[in-house]
Amino acid sequence: MLDYNMKKLLKYSLLLVSVTLLFTACKKEYLFGVDDVDVVQNSASKNNVKTTTEFVSIAYSDIYGSTIPQVYLTKLSLAYLAFGDKKLVEDIIIKNMLAAPGVQLPTQQAMLADVDLFVNNTYKKFYNRTPGEFELWKMKQLIQADQTITPELIYYAFLTSDEYRYY
Amino acid sequence: MKRRNFLKTTGLAAAGVIAAPYILPSGRLFAASGNRKANHVVFCLFAGGVRNFESIQKAEGNIMPNMLVGNESITPDIAGAIPNLPVGGQRLQTQGTLFKEFRYAQGPTGHYNGHTTAITGRYNDVDLNLKSNPDYPTVFELYRKHNSPGQTALNAWWVSNQLGPYPALNYSKFPGYGADYGANYIQPTTMFDPNIGTVMGNPKQFSQAELGKASGYRDFLNNNFANQYAPGDAGVVNTAEDNYNLQQFLKQTYTDVSQGVLNNPWGIGAQNMNGDCYNILFAEKIIQQYKPELMVVNMQGVDIAHTNFTAYCANMRIADYAVWHLWQTIQSTPGMANDTILIIAPEHGRNLQANSIVDAYGRYALDHTSDQKSREIFCMVVGPPSVVNQNQVISAVQGESIDIVPTIADILGFASEIPGEATLPGSTLQAAFV
Repeated sequence: MLDYNMKKLLKYSLLLVSVTLLFTACKKEYLFGVDDVDVVQNSASKNNVKTTTEFVSIAYSDIYGSTIPQVYLTKLSLAYLAFGDKKLVEDIIIKNMLAAPGVQLPTQQAMLADVDLFVNNTYKKFYNRTPGEFELWKMKQLIQADQTITPELIYYAFLTSDEYRYY
Repeated sequence: MKRRNFLKTTGLAAAGVIAAPYILPSGRLFAASGNRKANHVVFCLFAGGVRNFESIQKAEGNIMPNMLVGNESITPDIAGAIPNLPVGGQRLQTQGTLFKEFRYAQGPTGHYNGHTTAITGRYNDVDLNLKSNPDYPTVFELYRKHNSPGQTALNAWWVSNQLGPYPALNYSKFPGYGADYGANYIQPTTMFDPNIGTVMGNPKQFSQAELGKASGYRDFLNNNFANQYAPGDAGVVNTAEDNYNLQQFLKQTYTDVSQGVLNNPWGIGAQNMNGDCYNILFAEKIIQQYKPELMVVNMQGVDIAHTNFTAYCANMRIADYAVWHLWQTIQSTPGMANDTILIIAPEHGRNLQANSIVDAYGRYALDHTSDQKSREIFCMVVGPPSVVNQNQVISAVQGESIDIVPTIADILGFASEIPGEATLPGSTLQAAFV
């Protein structure tokens, strides 16, 4: 009788342990994470011309690091309408933005200290992509060949380039 | 030996005969395609809807004493509201030909329809898409495409008194024409508004050397980007040299505005210096700066007639003075003096019947809804006596709005170069010319 009870107890105990193990052993811990990935756009896929509002707003943000005030945007939109050569108007707009206080520019010293970094950052800032190998090499060559070139002039060239007008 | 000399002399003479037409006194390298009557045309759209009653028929007296001969006094009840502006010298009518019964013969008598007809030389019988360029080539495109030698956009200007649909009139969407042949467009009172000047008037002044460097970088960047602007994406395009020149001009004008130089530039009082005057003033600045071969400039202050008849007459008086001032500027600008033909015409007239709005002088206002009277306008062609018939008045019904573009083409010598697909339906106003 005792043997029978012991067997029964052992049987239930084993069943309990098995069930416990079954449920605990199958429970996996999942850890989700995202690696840092640069989302960039290839220049070849930029087929859309920015609207004038988009162009002005983005340029303002890129130059000052803040959102364009509505009053400012309205004035520039009117200027766009009031002159027929839109590229000329854009050139004047960019020059006015570069002349006003608050422009976020790296120093020439910082640019020359690490030209690779400057070129990479400038491409990311204005073109939303990294430069190709040739672009990086050529830009470095241009900058290093002329110690008088300023970040402001290079920014001006990017801001008035064709690629900056597209997305 | 004699034979050799003969051949040499004959050869030189023949070369001279061939080369002579290409070396012109004006310094042009080549002769234009056809014979030119003059080297500059300014077309002033005396627009906003002007009824012949009040203009050339002088129903309220001679409201346009700088343009029209006659000293008829202004109707007493509104005389006090008409600005007492200078009347200077020789009336324009005596310096050219006045078509008293000109016609805007077809299409709705709307301002934009009228402007489009005047600038394209074609009537518009359907509603216009106000956000779209005209269907047919503008006079600017015809000039820039067919004039020989081709001229840059700095030689063609459309100066308008307001925005809305008017910026679209500097080029068409007609195949083979478009922005590449368009005019420089400017709406000066917006462009040079002091508020706009705060964001456009203080550009970074790069040196020529700096601009050259930036251009080198930009060229490299552009060469590594596949897409290019399609014609029209960026409007009319100026050459790099003209672009620089224009930016200097705009900068100087912003400076003049901010310094108050243009507050009362004609000395007629700020109260009389309305939008029409400022539009003409800035057109004059362009004339003095660039001596364009073709300019169209408009005024529309008289459109106040919808609600105020007396103000309509007052603005007509101001517009008369503005046109006179424009002509004086042309005649005092070296290179354009005695070599410019000024054409003046409203885009359409106004109704025979008044509407129900009464002004402070008890006068009823006038609309323009395509009745016969709103199609009756005038046209004046002013120019050098050797080219334009002086002091001539044509009282019979003669000439239409669509005749102005072919007349300009004839003056500038490219009429015969316009190909079949762009053939103009109108005719040259031959009666105006010697």
